[in-house]
Amino acid sequence: MNWNRTSLLGLEDLTVEEITIILELASEFKRNLQNKVLPSKNLKGKRIVNLFMEPSTRTRVAFEIAAKSLSADVISIASQSSSLTKGETLKDTANNIQALGADAIVIRHPSAGSPLFLSKTIPVPIINAGDGSHEHPSQALLDIFTLQQKLGRLDNKNITILGDILFSRVARSNLWGLKKLGAKVTLVGPSTLVPREFEKLGAVVSHDVDKSLKNADAIMLLRIQHERQSTSHFPSLEEYTKIFGLNMERAKLLKPNAIILHPGPINRGVEIDSSIADSKNSVILQQVSNGIAVRMAILYLCANSSNLQ
Amino acid sequence: MNNLHLKNGHIVDPANNINEVKDLWIQGSRFVDKNEIEKSSCLEVIDLEGKMVLPGFIDLRCHPRNVTGGSTENICSISKTAAQGGYTSILGMPNISPFIDNPGDARYATECAERDAVIKFYLAGALTEKSEGNKLSPIGSLKESGIKAVTDCPYSTQNNEIFVKGVEYAAMFNLPVIDFPRELSLSKHGTAHDSKIALSMGLGGYPRMAEEIFVQRSITVSKNLEVPIHLSSISSRGSVELIHDAKSKGVFITADTTPHHIFFDDRMITDYDANFKTHPPLREESDQKALLSGLREGTIDAICTAHEPHQDYLKQAEYDIAPAGVTSLDTCFSAIFTRFSEELNDLAFECAKWLSFNPSKILKIEGGNLASGMCADFVVINPKEKKIYTEKDTCSLASNNPFYGKKLISVIEKTFVDGKVVFDKN
Repeated sequence: MNWNRTSLLGLEDLTVEEITIILELASEFKRNLQNKVLPSKNLKGKRIVNLFMEPSTRTRVAFEIAAKSLSADVISIASQSSSLTKGETLKDTANNIQALGADAIVIRHPSAGSPLFLSKTIPVPIINAGDGSHEHPSQALLDIFTLQQKLGRLDNKNITILGDILFSRVARSNLWGLKKLGAKVTLVGPSTLVPREFEKLGAVVSHDVDKSLKNADAIMLLRIQHERQSTSHFPSLEEYTKIFGLNMERAKLLKPNAIILHPGPINRGVEIDSSIADSKNSVILQQVSNGIAVRMAILYLCANSSNLQ
Repeated sequence: MNNLHLKNGHIVDPANNINEVKDLWIQGSRFVDKNEIEKSSCLEVIDLEGKMVLPGFIDLRCHPRNVTGGSTENICSISKTAAQGGYTSILGMPNISPFIDNPGDARYATECAERDAVIKFYLAGALTEKSEGNKLSPIGSLKESGIKAVTDCPYSTQNNEIFVKGVEYAAMFNLPVIDFPRELSLSKHGTAHDSKIALSMGLGGYPRMAEEIFVQRSITVSKNLEVPIHLSSISSRGSVELIHDAKSKGVFITADTTPHHIFFDDRMITDYDANFKTHPPLREESDQKALLSGLREGTIDAICTAHEPHQDYLKQAEYDIAPAGVTSLDTCFSAIFTRFSEELNDLAFECAKWLSFNPSKILKIEGGNLASGMCADFVVINPKEKKIYTEKDTCSLASNNPFYGKKLISVIEKTFVDGKVVFDKN
């Protein structure tokens, strides 16, 4: 196995081989989970610290379950209960966590680049669980894992990502990962949330939902984040839903086998019609359960990296 | 009396169009002609063969943080740092503690500067109270308390009515107005130049438009009121075009840029290194080229240091949380000299214009001139020596200088204010 990293900060600089290593290990862990057997590869005696400085349910819980499934000890710190609210710097927090003997830190932080900052500050493996609008590698890896389960190889597959791309770390990580695996990625949404500059990052940019749905092998919807977008990005949720929402009428344009993904949490009736979220083409809940196996693989590779080399 | 004879130095003096090896004489605090030196007084001869003599540099924008005390910077420490960099006069922005928007604090700061500063330290007063843009400061009273310019830098007066009235009112007192052009609604979430790089890094964009809209505002206001306005820290290629057009039509507009904007571009931030988070942000290569040619052609008149000290623990933080700004008073000249070293034959002459002669005209202060009768503010430079500057060398209390660790061409050997040495490399 050719895994030389201690930290997972994003997909932008991962190689195809590294992505494949993570996903193959995730498959192994998924079989263990389905058969309810303890994995032979584990993190017994390792201490994983979940440092969540931004609200999160699904990612935090998935990392906790993943760590526990690998028999690791896991401690979760949320920003409300840490010294961060008392004004301690991230550097000080990191040094303290290192001093407490963490074998890996899973960090969610509102500032882009903070996992990189941590990895340069302390010699502890850092796993990015979402940094600002930058990257969310574990989410993109579980999306890719799910896509591969349903579509097989992803080269030349058309993947459409629809919604708030500008503020989305999920969109960026998926763009990097999917492009590396040969997929064609189309980013769709209002021009204010999908600026043309994304073409320079290798995506196709479109503001025409109907057209982009017709060719899609998979469509990934992103949450419209009311709290982030002031009124300036689009006039109203009603108008967004009307022009960019995935409703029953539009869903008919999709290929019969096209699958629908959403990283959650869903705004039912805003970016996606409630019945479509629950339809047979939706893989939203499979994404969540795949998230455990994928995060087990990430944790195992990073927290155990000193033993693997 | 302290009399000096500067011998064999290469004199660079754009004010008098002198650029040749020549001797200079100083009696007391002023340059004099050879025949004016009193025969009876003692004369110290300094041989400057191989060295250059430029008028002392004049900075149009720096941030001392505190009048006295504090752990980031104060008038005493910033003035020593400036002397190291060849500066003989600097203009402190009003956002210091205490804030310079009232005559009492302005008087206090001016008196402290007279006591603590090793060079000529001048203050800019706030154009509006607390630089919040809602109400004009007592500009006339501030002038009586010793301020040399008005500005809301590092902010810009957002309300157009207040800005126009402020420019009109300050003109009555012959006070230069400096605008730091930043339209806030377009840039308040911006921590990096709005580009492919910021987009992939997930950083909020601070677009060129935010600067250019306010550059155009100053041009329009200056043209209509027929009052000069100085634009500080220009970073965008579009701004250079706007200023070029305005100047060609006779508008009284002047502008400066910073050493970091002509030295670096936004590729420097790809590691989220907050030491390259500047104010305005570093832009693209095309902007850098426009700034360089703007300087060469005279569209941009000056280079300010934009010296913004910050404590290490604040800069060693998350990129978007870390404050913007870098220090550069100690390295500015050498950085510029290095940047242009392969492009310009008359580099020292151009530097003297950008760093001294033009700033003296913009601020309407003495200096920037080596003619007899003028104050003997000057700097001695070794243009051949190379040096790697580090935080160990600086008198600044802060070390957030992106030029540290780089090999720069030219070294400041001595700085003189009113004929007295205020910095000596040895």
